[in-house]
Amino acid sequence: MSLRLLFLDELRGYAKSKVMIVLWFGLPLLSFLLQFIDPGQLEGRPISFLVSLVVSSIGGTLSAIMLSTSIVSEKIHHVYELFLIRPVKRSSLILAKFLAVYSCLVIAVSISLIVGLIIDGFTGDLSEMYLNMTFDSLIIGISSMAITCSIGIFFGVLVSSVPVAAILSVYLGSQLSSLIILPTFFIEVLDPVLLALTLGITLTTIIMSLNLFLFSRKQF
Amino acid sequence: MSKDICIEFKNVSKNYKDLLALDDISFKIHKGEVFGYIGPNGAGKTSTIKILVGLITDFNGQVNIYGINVQKDRKDFHKLIGYHPQEAGFQEWRTVDHAFKTFGRLSGLSSDYLENRTQEILELISLTDFRYKKIVHLSGGMFQKLRLGQALLHEPEILIMDEPLSGLDPQMRYQFKEIIKKLARSGITILFSSHILSDVQDIANTIGILNQGQIMKIGTPEELQTSFHVGNILEIVVAKNSSLYDGLEEVSGVVSIENINANKQLIHLDSDIDIDLIINIILNKLTEQKCRIRSFSLLKPSLEEVYLKYIRGETE
Repeated sequence: MSLRLLFLDELRGYAKSKVMIVLWFGLPLLSFLLQFIDPGQLEGRPISFLVSLVVSSIGGTLSAIMLSTSIVSEKIHHVYELFLIRPVKRSSLILAKFLAVYSCLVIAVSISLIVGLIIDGFTGDLSEMYLNMTFDSLIIGISSMAITCSIGIFFGVLVSSVPVAAILSVYLGSQLSSLIILPTFFIEVLDPVLLALTLGITLTTIIMSLNLFLFSRKQF
Repeated sequence: MSKDICIEFKNVSKNYKDLLALDDISFKIHKGEVFGYIGPNGAGKTSTIKILVGLITDFNGQVNIYGINVQKDRKDFHKLIGYHPQEAGFQEWRTVDHAFKTFGRLSGLSSDYLENRTQEILELISLTDFRYKKIVHLSGGMFQKLRLGQALLHEPEILIMDEPLSGLDPQMRYQFKEIIKKLARSGITILFSSHILSDVQDIANTIGILNQGQIMKIGTPEELQTSFHVGNILEIVVAKNSSLYDGLEEVSGVVSIENINANKQLIHLDSDIDIDLIINIILNKLTEQKCRIRSFSLLKPSLEEVYLKYIRGETE
């Protein structure tokens, strides 16, 4: 009950936040602007492929910053006290934040991708192969974003300074999330999509479990 | 255990690494009591309160609310307690209405009930006109009222308030005190911390003095004041166009006379004297001299004096 309520509550808050407004409008705009890239530089790949990579990377990083800084700020301003004196599980507070930001992000990336696909459709680059390529990169992007969001929460729970949380999220969050595609560069037999999905789910679960453990031990 | 004991601390200690915040404190608060918890900054007031509301779970000792151990059975005591924190903020994007709805729903209230209750609370705290305003646009005083409002949503039997009057201007402080008095009259048990002694004296019917993590004294304001012997001092104030009587030195038992101004004097009396007898003698003398007495009182120490004596360790 409280998780659902908190999720809807956080969703409402994040959906209206400045960062999310930037993502809602900025990422589709980016998709539109990417069509002006010289097609030769895309090495035969469709716009939507590039869009899914770029927006998931930017979106993931921004979300990690938003999550880490908002959690630190809420800790500093004792926001959680008003929740925790009620019959609310600490795990629900953290999970609701993760799910709300991740949902917003997936929607923002999907909108951008649709814009990219529409552009590809108009320019005649939309073949089945291109669609598969785009879908694959979207899965990798979504897996990477899940890790980035959980890392953002990790720094939010652990750190007590907003600037430190932001810096760590920018430099470590996006770097660590790219690990999920790194093995495919060295081991050719690995399916990058399957690997990204497996690592995405596994790492996100591990990091989120650690987050919940750390948050449950905090004394407010 | 007596049935009307509402809150009970039994040998509670709390450490923050090497710092001992609470040192084996024990006290009881009875149902309907307004308990003023006073002490200097860092005395351990907020730690006590956070233990009581369940925000600090890592402590030694036992805390019971109506006999329920707060460490073992949290589900039940959530409903009993309303908590007005000292500093807690609200997320900036919320409106007053939205904050109340979220916290109300999380407290288990139904939407229909919450709609009416929100209106009731907003009327009580005079924030009706701000119901749909964003919290970020509220003033400091309104923010403080909002903290109180959220604490009252689920009609708690016990209200815990951490420094509820700090940072308020005099008008807002008066309003706030009136609200607390109104709540106290309705039978809610209130524990509030403060370091503003006049406020504590205005509101509380029992006062606990905390210093360096230890309870120094608990009692009614009168009990605390009479717990100190400041000497037998009579204060006499006469009307402006009347003169002070200057022959009181001759009265047996009068040690010295201190003229504060043209209309006010303090008569220091022998500490072994029969106070009722000497008051009668002095009053007769003043009446014989046709002094126009405005006030005549045996001085008691102020709460501030009592507090400072305990804090400075000047108690016997």
